[in-house]
Amino acid sequence: MEHPKKSQSCELYPSKKEIHNYHGVVHSVISYGKEDDQQLNGTLSLIQESEKVVIEWRPNDVSIDTECQEDTEWALVNTNTRTRTSSGSVDGALSKLHVNIMLNDVKTIKVSNKKNKLTFTLKDNKQKVFFFHFGNVNQFFEELRTTVTLKRSHHDSNLYFVHDKNAIVQSFSDLTLVDRGGDTVWNLVGDLKRRPYETTLSTFSKLTELLLYRNPEARPEGAMVEILSSLSSTDGCPEVDDSYHFICPVLGPRKLEPRGIPLSQDHWETAKDTEGKIINPDHIKQIIFKGGITPSLRPELWKYLLCLYPWNSTKKEREDILNEKTEEYKRMRAQWSTMSADQESRFTFFRDKKSLVEKDVNRTDRTMPFYAGANNPNLELLSDILMTYIMYNFDLGYVQGMSDLLSPILAVLGNEVEAFWCFVGFMNIMYHNFDEDQSGMKKQLSQLHTLLTAVAPDLATYLDSHDSGSMCFCFRWLLVWFKREFPLEDVNVLWEVLWTGLPCTNFHLLICVAILEKEKNKLMSAGNGLSEVLKHVNDLSYNMDLNDILMRATGIYNQLDQSSNLTASTQRVLGLAHDLISVQQSQSEPEEIVGEEKIDVSMENGYEKSIEYNYF
Amino acid sequence: MANKAGPQRPNGTAQAKICQFKLVLLGESAVGKSSLVLRFVKGQFHEYQESTIGAAFLTQTVCLDDTTVKFEIWDTAGQERYHSLAPMYYRGAQAAIVVYDVTNQDTFGRAKTWVKELQRQASPNIVIALAGNKADLANKRCVEYEEAQAYAEENGLLFMETSAKTGTNVNEIFLAIAKKLPKSETIGGSGSGQGRRLVESDTTAKTSTSCCK
Ligand SMILES: Nc1nc2c(ncn2[C@@H]2O[C@H](COP(=O)(O)OP(=O)(O)OP(=O)(O)O)[C@@H](O)[C@H]2O)c(=O)[nH]1
Ligand SMILES: [Mg+2]
Repeated sequence: MEHPKKSQSCELYPSKKEIHNYHGVVHSVISYGKEDDQQLNGTLSLIQESEKVVIEWRPNDVSIDTECQEDTEWALVNTNTRTRTSSGSVDGALSKLHVNIMLNDVKTIKVSNKKNKLTFTLKDNKQKVFFFHFGNVNQFFEELRTTVTLKRSHHDSNLYFVHDKNAIVQSFSDLTLVDRGGDTVWNLVGDLKRRPYETTLSTFSKLTELLLYRNPEARPEGAMVEILSSLSSTDGCPEVDDSYHFICPVLGPRKLEPRGIPLSQDHWETAKDTEGKIINPDHIKQIIFKGGITPSLRPELWKYLLCLYPWNSTKKEREDILNEKTEEYKRMRAQWSTMSADQESRFTFFRDKKSLVEKDVNRTDRTMPFYAGANNPNLELLSDILMTYIMYNFDLGYVQGMSDLLSPILAVLGNEVEAFWCFVGFMNIMYHNFDEDQSGMKKQLSQLHTLLTAVAPDLATYLDSHDSGSMCFCFRWLLVWFKREFPLEDVNVLWEVLWTGLPCTNFHLLICVAILEKEKNKLMSAGNGLSEVLKHVNDLSYNMDLNDILMRATGIYNQLDQSSNLTASTQRVLGLAHDLISVQQSQSEPEEIVGEEKIDVSMENGYEKSIEYNYF
Repeated sequence: MANKAGPQRPNGTAQAKICQFKLVLLGESAVGKSSLVLRFVKGQFHEYQESTIGAAFLTQTVCLDDTTVKFEIWDTAGQERYHSLAPMYYRGAQAAIVVYDVTNQDTFGRAKTWVKELQRQASPNIVIALAGNKADLANKRCVEYEEAQAYAEENGLLFMETSAKTGTNVNEIFLAIAKKLPKSETIGGSGSGQGRRLVESDTTAKTSTSCCK
């Protein structure tokens, strides 16, 4: 197991002996009632100073604007960049943020039920709460126990009285940190031994921690202000330290389950009752999620997945629906196809959209047999459907990217009316990707960052500090749901999987996470900035194994779903908010939850803010 | 790979310097931005070149006298809807090629808008070139050479009519830009917003403060 990186901070204090420390700890300073909460990275250390033991938290990171980094002036500015100041150059203002707790002054230490918080109650009854966001409280606690004797309270098995400064005792297991049935962290330890999994193994020893100032007097608002102002006036900027270690969350081990077999004709036949209703649509969706659909069944199934037909419709009802939709289509189609050139000449909006459609139809999937060759009649179908969509949704009209969304649908269905309505169904999901102000894309890129931080925080931090925190290099993936990244047959499978809406909202973002995590080492190669990252990501096109990606994404979903350490924003993105509620209910310290929730919101907002200013 | 842009041989001297510049392509959709880049970087042309989504990044190197110029090329999506993304791509660019389609008057109008935006918002010393692309389609021409030429002169732009299809003037326009870019500043000294990254070649043993003299 990798050990937490030793920091250089003791070099500053030659008289001190550092016992243990955790490097690169996220530190959120919560200023209650203030919107602009700050997030800082720091190092939590146990330091032996002659007779005394001190718990010290030092900010070793400041969020700065990379604009002043000369080397990257042309690149995207990203305020999320974390640049580690070398410990020797810690600014005076920064040092005001230091938290020093003399163990002598500590009365009790409380470990939260979930083993992710340490609350130090001092003799003056002030409290310092360290929120070990990903459960590594055990490791730190163990170290603590080698330097001080703790006595467990009879009333509260999680409460320890600090007894004596210089003793060693008790086996770790006495602390009942180890088991409480289903403690994820300790299950993980076991799992790691049995089945070391590269990612979890390498990340286990790292931790992310949030330090909450419970004590109003300790709120460093003034200091924060000073830090920020002193930073903005600094001439020389600290250098990016590539060796900087971000701390990863500890998720459970990832299980990669093989993909299933596609929904078969036989299975589909038995799925309908005598009237033609689908008996158990959820089961069908499950099969599709796991293995896709046999190609010959696609034309039929896609009409359900894309909401042309309700799952519980009878055969008769579907015929009626199709007739009705056919009439409606014809009507809308006539609205543009009967327009005379003269009319058009005074209809700029229409003309502009029409010209966009023409330009794109001409260069959409022309290497695909279905659209290949000059004067291929399918090009006309593609064009007609897009033109009719302009009439269907005049406010949106036609935006580049939409031809990519229609092309596979038309190729599978082969029928103009059906393809149109299925395209409408797809656009109902994708509509916001084409927002005029890009807000839909912005939101997703931000959500992607949130998820990446939960799954591969080291990568997220790397990207943040290399002008890529906006995630804009994933723009194409998200805009057309990987249409440009996989060959058509794979796109068909991927889309039908995503159309099931399983297993959570925004599963497509977990696909992004799966790919990025898989490419992590390459993306994080020395010096890769936005251009290299974008190039690498673009070059992945047609070089990825969809099955592997889907397996990973599903595995990641399960890890997140089972984790008890997700931030609220991660839960929100995936629609796992019910977990949050149950966590809240099971908590005995509701005010801390408020704190957690608050951190979360502020992180998310802060992130969105940075995108707004610097990306769009 | 074969690049006809400039002789790739680093003319043997130990004085070879490498200068790196960020160049961005802007212009209405389907005027041929990606096609120009593809021609310049790979010597290819695709009749059915896909529309660009987001942006693409490519690099190509040209040699000028004793200097090797490495272009970091950002190819953007042209449609108006994605306009709001453009600033992040042209931010810090030392050069831009604004492309229009000689067979489409509207695209020339749009090119002028891009030029204005760059002059207002991009790096102050940005070198801007105007490319009238699809010059091979002579019988469909809508924008006259003289008109564009006059506009370019008024605005201090490099100007060429190009054809990504035939290759006419493609390497030439990049070379002209390379020539016009200043290559004498020291590393990171300026703070002028130019943000040039100068990389020294392995063969030279210069101090880190001098490059590309
Ligand atoms: N005849 C001719 N056609 C060209 C030329 N350059 C590009 N084209 C064609 O014009 C169409 C559009 O070219 P692209 O390079 O994709 O245009 P773009 O400016 O990159 O378009 P967006 O990515 O949508 O912004 C393609 O079908 C090209 O084959 C040219 O010099 N001559
Ligand atoms: Mg393009």
